[in-house]
Amino acid sequence: MKEGDATVVRLPLEEDRQIVAYGGGGFSMEAGNRLLDAYVLDLARRRRERPRVCFLPTASGDADHYVVRFYRAFPGSVCEPSHISLFRRDRGARDLRAHMLAQDLVYVGGGSILSLLGTWRAHGLDAILAEAWRAGVILCGLSAGSLCWYSQGVTSFHGEVHQVRGLGLLPWSNCVHYGTGQDRRVAYHAMLRRGMCPGYAAEDGTALHFRGPKLISAIASRPQARAWCVGDRGEEIVETALPTRYLGEPQVPTRVSGGPVADDLEAVA
Amino acid sequence: MSGAIVAIGGTEFTMRPENEALHDYVVGLAGGGPGAVPEPLRICLLPTASGDPHEQIVSFHGAMERRGCLASAISLFRLGVAPVDLAEHLLGQDVIYVTGGSMVNLLALWLEHRIDEIIRAAHERGIVLCGYSAGSMCWFEQGLSRGGGAPASFPGLGLIGGSNCVHYSQDPTRRDAYRRLVGEGAIPGGLALDDHAAALIREGELVEVVRSRETAAAYRVERGADGSVVEVEVPSRLLPPARATTELGLAEMRELRRARSGATAGPPGPGRLGRLR
Repeated sequence: MKEGDATVVRLPLEEDRQIVAYGGGGFSMEAGNRLLDAYVLDLARRRRERPRVCFLPTASGDADHYVVRFYRAFPGSVCEPSHISLFRRDRGARDLRAHMLAQDLVYVGGGSILSLLGTWRAHGLDAILAEAWRAGVILCGLSAGSLCWYSQGVTSFHGEVHQVRGLGLLPWSNCVHYGTGQDRRVAYHAMLRRGMCPGYAAEDGTALHFRGPKLISAIASRPQARAWCVGDRGEEIVETALPTRYLGEPQVPTRVSGGPVADDLEAVA
Repeated sequence: MSGAIVAIGGTEFTMRPENEALHDYVVGLAGGGPGAVPEPLRICLLPTASGDPHEQIVSFHGAMERRGCLASAISLFRLGVAPVDLAEHLLGQDVIYVTGGSMVNLLALWLEHRIDEIIRAAHERGIVLCGYSAGSMCWFEQGLSRGGGAPASFPGLGLIGGSNCVHYSQDPTRRDAYRRLVGEGAIPGGLALDDHAAALIREGELVEVVRSRETAAAYRVERGADGSVVEVEVPSRLLPPARATTELGLAEMRELRRARSGATAGPPGPGRLGRLR
C-alpha cells in the first residue's frame, strides 16, 4: 500500500438510518400546511406501501387533543397510525420495544424536552428508539421532538434559555425555533463559545434530513424559512445558511456536504 | 416536626359526595375550611402523574376554591408558558396535593425537575403532603404501579417506611401482584388502600384510617413466617358527609348549575349529565 492510499470501510446500514428534525412545523404548528409531514410520509412509503406511523406525544404529557390531531393528520387511509402514551401504559401496546421496531416512522411531538427525556428513560424508550433507528425506522419530530435526537440542544421551554443533552444519535448540537426571540440565538452562540459541539439551527417551517450523522437535505414548508449550520471557529461564531429546498414547488433536490461550517456555502454572520 | 401525609387509595375532584368528604378531611387537617384560619389555606396541585390534564386542574381549582382555599397547580409540561420558581412556590404552600396516574412517570419527572428534593424539604418544614393512587404510593418506600404496563413494584420517595398498594379491592390484578410480591419478600409489607379510604401518617406512624364510602377499607399486608401473606383490616372511621353538598344539597346544586349554564329546567338528558362531571 503506497502513501496516500486509503482503505475505505463502508459502514453497513449507515445510509438507512434516517432522522428528519423539524425546527418547528408539521400538523401541530402549521395548520393547513402539509408539506413537512408529506415529506416524512413519502420517506416512510419507500419502506412500506401503507407505512406504520407511531406518534409519541410524551413531551406534551400525552395531551388528548394532540393525539386526536395526529390521527387527523395521519389517517388510516394513508398509513397505519398508532400512538404510545407513557402515562397510560396499562392500555395500548403491551410490548413497547416490539411495537417501536415494527414501525416505519416515529413522529415525536413538541413540548417539554426535560419531561420528554425523563419519561423516556423511565420506560427505557431512549434505548428502544436508538435501536429502532439503527434498524432503519425513520425518526422525526418537531421542537422537543427534534432536540432529542442530537447530542446537545438549546431549550427555552422552561423560561430561561439553557442547555440540554439529547439522545446523541446525531453528534451535533441543535437549536429549534431559530429566529423567534433573539435571546435563543445569543444563548446558543454563548454555549458554542463554552465548548458545545457545532450543530444546526432551524427556523420554524424547516426540517433537516439526516442519513446517519450526515445532513443530506434541508427542506422547508415556507418559501422564506431557513436553516443554518453553526460553529465556533475560534475567532468567531460562524453561521452558514444551508441551501434549503422549498417543498411547495417542484425543484431539483440540493445536496449539502458534510457537517457544520461548510465553507462552500454562503456565510451569513 | 415533619408534616402529615395523607395517602388516599383513590378519589377524584368531581363533585361526588365520597370525593367531597375526603377533600374536607384534607383541608380540615391542614387547618383550613370555613372560618378556620385568618388566611386562606394555600394548596398546590402536582398533576404530573397524569400528564397535567387541563380538566383535572380545573376541577381541582373548583373543589378547593369552594372550600375557601387559595389553589394553584404546577404543570411541568407547561412551564414554558407558565414559568414558576418550583422551590419558592412549593415551599410556600400549606398542602401539596399529588394526583394519580403513572407512578413511574411521576418519579422520573420529579427527579428530572428536582422536585423530589423540594418535596423532602417541604415535608421537613411541616407542609402537608397528600395524594391519591400514584400520588399515595409515591410517599412510601415501594408502590405497586401499572405505569409500566403489567403491575410491578416501583420505589417511591421513602418518606414512609414499607409499601403501599392502591385501588386494592377495585383492581384484582394489582391486588394479586401486591400480595405475591409481599409474600415472596420482594417488597416490604405495608398498607393497602381501597378507593375512598385514606391513611393519615405522621412521623412515619399510621395515625388513623378514614373512609368516605361505607364499604371502603384499608389493610395491613405483611409476610407471614412461612412465606404466606397475612392481611388484616385496619379499623377506620367513616367521615361525615361533605359540607358543601350538605349545605347546599345535591338537587339544589344541580339546579344552580343548570341556571348558570343557561339551560332550561327539565329532566336532565344524557348530555347534561355528562357536563355535570
